[in-house]
Amino acid sequence: MSQQQAVTGMARRGGRSAPAGGRAIEAPPLAAPAMVRVKRLLLADRTATVIVVGAIVVALQIASIFAPAYIAPPPTLIVARMWTSLTVDPIQIAVTLARLAAALAFALVVGTVIGIAIGTIAWIRPYLRALVVIDTGISALSWMLLAAFWFKNPELRIFFIMAVLLIPFYALSVYDGIRAIPKDWVEMCESFRPSRMQVLHYLILPHIAAYVLGTTKTVVGYATRMVIFAELIGSAVGIGAQMGLAQANFDIAAVIGWTVLLVALNLFLQWAINRVEGYVLRWRPPVEVR
Amino acid sequence: MGADAASPIITLDRVTKRFGDFVAVDELSFSVGEGEIVALVGKTGAGKSTALNLIMGNLAATAGSVRVAGLDPMADFAALRGRLAVGFQTDRLLPWRTAVQNVALGMQILRVPYGTCMERAKQWLARVKLEAAADKYPHELSGGMRQRVSLARALAIDPAILLLDECFSQLDHVTSKALRGDVSGLIRELGKSCLFITHRIDDAIEMADRILVLGAPARLLLEVTPTAAQRIDQAAAAVLHARIAAAMGDEDENAAGTADAPATATDLHAC
Repeated sequence: MSQQQAVTGMARRGGRSAPAGGRAIEAPPLAAPAMVRVKRLLLADRTATVIVVGAIVVALQIASIFAPAYIAPPPTLIVARMWTSLTVDPIQIAVTLARLAAALAFALVVGTVIGIAIGTIAWIRPYLRALVVIDTGISALSWMLLAAFWFKNPELRIFFIMAVLLIPFYALSVYDGIRAIPKDWVEMCESFRPSRMQVLHYLILPHIAAYVLGTTKTVVGYATRMVIFAELIGSAVGIGAQMGLAQANFDIAAVIGWTVLLVALNLFLQWAINRVEGYVLRWRPPVEVR
Repeated sequence: MGADAASPIITLDRVTKRFGDFVAVDELSFSVGEGEIVALVGKTGAGKSTALNLIMGNLAATAGSVRVAGLDPMADFAALRGRLAVGFQTDRLLPWRTAVQNVALGMQILRVPYGTCMERAKQWLARVKLEAAADKYPHELSGGMRQRVSLARALAIDPAILLLDECFSQLDHVTSKALRGDVSGLIRELGKSCLFITHRIDDAIEMADRILVLGAPARLLLEVTPTAAQRIDQAAAAVLHARIAAAMGDEDENAAGTADAPATATDLHAC
């Protein structure tokens, strides 16, 4: 390495260089572009996710060497079980997705209607709000046990559990949305002397769309967990039921396989809702925080 | 009461509005004739907006009567549909609607077919010189542009009566002056009756056929009719400006304790 190369190298590392004159000068702190790129890559969300997933796979592989397959199955066995689930019995996933979609759609509609009623009809407000608040205080397990007594049909049972768990989220969020409508907008709208339905159509529904979508994003993960739980205790079909079966057969690879599929399903649903949100709320200005 | 108007379209007769013990409007009487532009001038807190809310039918008078197009604006709320429009201090555009959709809102509420709504809304945007911004959302428009859209929204329903509530006060001087000229030109061209509220005396002199100066609580202190010369000639306008300002100033002195010698009667007779 020549003297010039050595000096350049020191300068790049932000160190001191001693030129021929003998007096040490402070080199400017230049960051190497390659290092910056690597640092940026390491801090990216996608890279971090890949690294974390890789670490879990490695940990599972190491654990599988020391523990029996029914405790820590090797990643290859888990992938094989996942492949079987996807190709041999895809109906289980479809059934869970259908239950989830039906319950979410029902809760969205009913919860929105209840929220609008709370927000716009003064005499009904305290009663409906009390009902919704009491509902939020009842645990999911209580509803599951009650549903097991009340409904014989497993579909109805799961649907009921999901509905009573999800409706309060939408109702309270929509109520908050209505309270957040600026008074100026209401006055402006009323200056044209609209009917109540027109106020709902032109002002309230477009305004609460953001709240409904935000709630959907928040509850979709919770709803997925609840539908699996409800299937586990109340159905013979669906991902939850299959996980229960796998657990009974000490097939931990299938349990982990289904879990991985559930995570993927949840990520897909979040992505899909984000796309819908991006379209419905396309009027929103981008927010830039300094 | 301004009895000049041959056929008054807005009439307030000894109207009082109290909120508990607080008197916001005190035996206020005036009228606005068909095709007339009347300015209500008063300081902040003079009860101008309360008077406007009484005319809009958002509030009921404690005493006296309010008639708009021969109707009680509160009791006959729906009957005034499409006959009354309001331009507000802030633009109040709905952020999820584009400029053209915002202009169309009033027409949609009046159940005009959607295609006609959009066509007329585009025509109105062209009249307020914003045809190029038709598909822009409010956050993409400047303050002046948004206020133009807001005024186009009010005018698009072709109302007989236009109420303007300080709708130029949020804009800078240059934008406000340009918009005032455009709006008063449009109102005169269309022959609308207009009652506009402002605390800026210059706005009133420039736009109004008649100026009503209010004291606090809202009661008539002074009524003047600016001449064409006063609108054009700066010196003449300055004299009128000073007279209106003095009336508003006298009101302050009255409030300070000279209640026995109200300036209202003197000024009204002088007028």
